[in-house]
Amino acid sequence: MTNQMQDTILSCIFLVLAGVWIWLVATTIPGGFGRGDIGPRAFPLSFGIALAVLSGGLLLRSFLMRADANSDSESDEELRQEIRWTPALLVLIQISLYGFLMQTIGYVIATPIIIVTIMLISLRERSIKKILAMALGITVGTWIIFEKLLGIYLANGTWINVG
Amino acid sequence: MEAFIDAAQLAMTPAAILAIGLGALVGLVFGSIPGLTFTVALALALPITFSMDAVPAIGLLLGTYIGGMTGGSVSAILLGIPGTPSAAATVLDGYPMTKRGDASIALGTAVIVSVFGGIFSLIVMIVSVDIVSRLAIGFGPAEKFALVLFGMSTICGLCGGSLIKGLISGVLGLMIMTIGLDAIDGVSRLTFGSVNMLQGVNLLVALIGLFAVPFIIEAFSGQGDAGPKRVANVRAKMPSIGLLFRNSWLMIRCSVLGTGIGAIPGTGGAIASFLAYDHAKRFSKKPKTFGKGNIEGVIAPETANNAVTGGTLIPLLSLGIPGDPATAIVLAGMMIHGLTPGPALFMNHADEVYGIYIAVVIAYVWVLALQLVGIRLFVHVLKIPRELLAVIVLVLCAIGAYSIRNSVFDIYSMAVIGVLAYILVAVRIPTTPIILGMVLGPILENEFRTGMMLSRGSMDIFWTSPVALVFFGLAALIIMLQLRSELKAKRKSKQPLEVSDAS
Repeated sequence: MTNQMQDTILSCIFLVLAGVWIWLVATTIPGGFGRGDIGPRAFPLSFGIALAVLSGGLLLRSFLMRADANSDSESDEELRQEIRWTPALLVLIQISLYGFLMQTIGYVIATPIIIVTIMLISLRERSIKKILAMALGITVGTWIIFEKLLGIYLANGTWINVG
Repeated sequence: MEAFIDAAQLAMTPAAILAIGLGALVGLVFGSIPGLTFTVALALALPITFSMDAVPAIGLLLGTYIGGMTGGSVSAILLGIPGTPSAAATVLDGYPMTKRGDASIALGTAVIVSVFGGIFSLIVMIVSVDIVSRLAIGFGPAEKFALVLFGMSTICGLCGGSLIKGLISGVLGLMIMTIGLDAIDGVSRLTFGSVNMLQGVNLLVALIGLFAVPFIIEAFSGQGDAGPKRVANVRAKMPSIGLLFRNSWLMIRCSVLGTGIGAIPGTGGAIASFLAYDHAKRFSKKPKTFGKGNIEGVIAPETANNAVTGGTLIPLLSLGIPGDPATAIVLAGMMIHGLTPGPALFMNHADEVYGIYIAVVIAYVWVLALQLVGIRLFVHVLKIPRELLAVIVLVLCAIGAYSIRNSVFDIYSMAVIGVLAYILVAVRIPTTPIILGMVLGPILENEFRTGMMLSRGSMDIFWTSPVALVFFGLAALIIMLQLRSELKAKRKSKQPLEVSDAS
């Protein structure tokens, strides 16, 4: 996919986002009382319109650049970074799972579980020693520093509470 | 002179020096861990000060504030994740320096210029506390709105080759911050009936997500640079006198900028550091090297954000107006110890006020010593394999996001924002303007709406203030300069475009 094509798709996504945003803002947030009163709707609405205008500008630019055979696409190609969907989705799931486990079984149990999961799935680590050292080291280390030394509350868990 | 000697007796006791040192250490630790800012540290330190005398107590709080402001640069430079919002601009050149193997010089320079900025602002504060506070207090909503708009114009300098993408990014940041309970009318906006959404997206949660999560994803997928090879040769290296001398004029300008911005309540280190970065880039002989590891890109924001510490003390001490949440906690600490800020403070508690000045100097000495000794420890962070560091960062980020409001919702928000940020970076949308939009958006809206309320719906309030007009003019100038440079770059179509990004 060329950068121009990517920009076209991107601007279309932003245009849809702006449209949905404007529709939601217009239908759910009440406006001001008129006569110069700037209500809670004005700013979100104007930001949505700004996004729509800018996305339109980006779309136009991508068409113009596509038409221009001498555009600087070669230099742009180097700057593009491939999106790795699997690690990105895995991280999203792992962090969300960590949050859920932290709330239900507490920080002390959730942390080693999530570290072992990450080490096995994301890092494909097979050394039991390394996995255990990381899981226990990070859990105990952070628990002592944050909970005991700094007095920061770490989640106790609603299902299991080990303090 | 007698008052000064009395003050020295209050501030130079072993207990006071140790309390300030403890504050500086805690501030440095909290400031350097992404998500755990010095505001959290100050909130935790406040109860400890109850049993102390006034000067050691305020010294501990100020030490935490100053340590935190300086500590933010550590993770910004080493990991590319700003420990505090005010260190976000430091990432732009600090992290590329680390990638190049110059982490120690970047850290060493950051601490030296931080201390310079801080001491400079302290001197300015002592000399001009009266004049500057009178000027700053004169800023009404119109002037603040214009100032924030001027701050927003720095997006132009941060969006690299594509102004339109930078602006889209900035607007996204502005949009995110409108979610939640409206600050003026109390109306819920785009919360979809969720109680968690009422508080909106927390800025710190978004910061962690925007900067830390893409780092974690890249580390897990083997993308980006593998650090260990370069890191093996990293040694603690101080900047040369020549380097500091060459940049002394930049340091002075950024100190003045930071002190001035700090003196305006409601602004803070983030705006100052971005403005300073933009200023340095514009007046640099090598503007194209910014974003690629130019030391000036570290010097400018770090000098400015520490100069803010002295600036914020001006309205705090003379008028009792805290410039940001951190100084609000310092204000609470002062009031608990019977030091009610205001003109009467200087008459009734002159010893304590001078004691606080001395405490600030001691705090900077502590920060300097702790950072210089700590550099040797900090660079070891880079010797940890990148993917293992990412596991630690993931846990710290979850702790950071959770501890802000003790809410798991913030961890989910962080994950979603982080993955979206990763995708944005991959499609060449710079993420730094999002932060600028998020930092400045709420102030922009509140000041505009308050201004319109005061003027009963007339826009004249914005056009009749000379100060506001100056800021509007500066903002327009910056936008025009950016447009001109983009048009120039288009003409030289064969030359590659520069992309500046924080990740």
